[in-house]
Amino acid sequence: MEYFISLAVLVGIYITLSSSFNLIIGFGGLVSIAHPIFFALGAYTTGLLAIHFQTHPVLAVLAGGGVAFLSSMMLSLPSLRISGDYLLITSIGFQLGLLEVIKHLGVTGGASGLGNIPNVVEGSYRSAVFAVVSCSIAAVVVWMIRWLLTGPYGRVITAMRDDELAFSALGRNAMMIKLSLFAIGSGFAGIAGGIYAYYFQYISPDQFEILQSAMLLTMVVVGGMGSQWGPVVGAVLLLLLPQAISFLNLPPSVMAPLQGVIFTTLVLVFLFWRPQGLIAPDKRQSAKDA
Amino acid sequence: MSVLISLRDVCKSFGGIVVADHISIDIQRGEILGLIGPNGAGKTSLFNLISGVYPADSGSIAVSGQSLDGLNLHQRARLGVARTWQHMRLFASMSVLENLLVAPRNYPGEKISNIIFKPKQTAAANHAVRERAMGILKRMHLESIAHSNVNDITFGQQKLVGLARALMNDGECLLLDEPMAGVEGNAYETMKSIVREEASSGRAVCVVEHNVSFIKDLCNSAVFMASGKILERGSVDSLLASKTLADLYFGA
Repeated sequence: MEYFISLAVLVGIYITLSSSFNLIIGFGGLVSIAHPIFFALGAYTTGLLAIHFQTHPVLAVLAGGGVAFLSSMMLSLPSLRISGDYLLITSIGFQLGLLEVIKHLGVTGGASGLGNIPNVVEGSYRSAVFAVVSCSIAAVVVWMIRWLLTGPYGRVITAMRDDELAFSALGRNAMMIKLSLFAIGSGFAGIAGGIYAYYFQYISPDQFEILQSAMLLTMVVVGGMGSQWGPVVGAVLLLLLPQAISFLNLPPSVMAPLQGVIFTTLVLVFLFWRPQGLIAPDKRQSAKDA
Repeated sequence: MSVLISLRDVCKSFGGIVVADHISIDIQRGEILGLIGPNGAGKTSLFNLISGVYPADSGSIAVSGQSLDGLNLHQRARLGVARTWQHMRLFASMSVLENLLVAPRNYPGEKISNIIFKPKQTAAANHAVRERAMGILKRMHLESIAHSNVNDITFGQQKLVGLARALMNDGECLLLDEPMAGVEGNAYETMKSIVREEASSGRAVCVVEHNVSFIKDLCNSAVFMASGKILERGSVDSLLASKTLADLYFGA
């Protein structure tokens, strides 16, 4: 039972991550894969505040989100002027560069990671409490993104993605919209990082490497890029699938590579046969009464 | 009448190709100026220079006395330059009405702070914008397709939606890039009357168009361009009567 509850904690965290990542790449059309670094910034901020300042957990998690929100601009301000493939490249550089910094700083625990993050929930219900918190945050994030995208703001984002030149010629500042989308998505990732840090009480740089980017990208692509429920389905599916395989009792030497093979195969299969993902994005229709 | 938009000695070249060679034009409020000339004359490039798709190499452009030099696309739009595109560039995944709703320069419902802190005023403003958009669609006899996706309507209707979107933008200087290309029947008549109405309401309109009878019907005067130069400005009839220009345009 404990096993399923701790899986639920991860499901909540990954729904938050994949939905916020989808806001950036699926809705903003901003091809960045640096999402895990904002997850990491949130986790480290929360962890450090908890260890050194005994900050209240709620404040520490919010601070993690805030740091991710603000530091997203370090990537977006210089690189959103360029777009497409160039943004992808700078995002990889940004992620790897910051991870190097984390690996070499004393305060973050270096490559061996940051441990001894204080436990904030004692008792046998610890995992259950975390599961409820993490899934509630996921629900709020999904709901907020949905609320943001169905209103006039969502219309603006769609228009920008459809035709940026025509959009700018209407007096709209596409740069500002991209900056805010990037910041909001990264902020959510930071909050997920805070929960992650408190739950596992230990974080290390290798948890936020490119492999993590690939995992999030797979969740979004398989679930359905640019659809509101797609990343939710993608996150649940990609977390449960490896667990299901582990019930097959295969030897570890087969298990580890098998997961990588399955992820890669899934992405390829979806790109060929169902590029819109499991859940295709809605075609926008204007509601007659809104 | 007063001058709304004025170009002084505007030059632009791409490598060796000169698309604007010391162009100077004034367009008055209420005026509909035709821009004619053979393909490659630099007509669309001139629109791109005015609206800020790319900067001019030299010269200056001003709208209502305010210089546009050094400003980018969205800043110029905010100062009153509204335009349409030869290939419409409608927002393809959206409905006709939504294409119009994106266009106003100030739309309170898009500021997240407004949605949260002033929900009532925001809802009222959203409603007002919607009413206005429906009003424009009605003038164009498009209200029945307001909720259709822009890909599901006819070419002529798409051209009208492109114009409607520019009108929603409120720019006093209206640049229309080949509004009539491929348009016939009802849409043609509608386009003509709307452009006239907009000019008489005080906008300055400049039209790039190959359809000579449209230009003749509509424009007070016209400018003939070739190879990035203005060869002549005058009434449409006098331009077309000039043999050298007719030869350039239609081929000798």
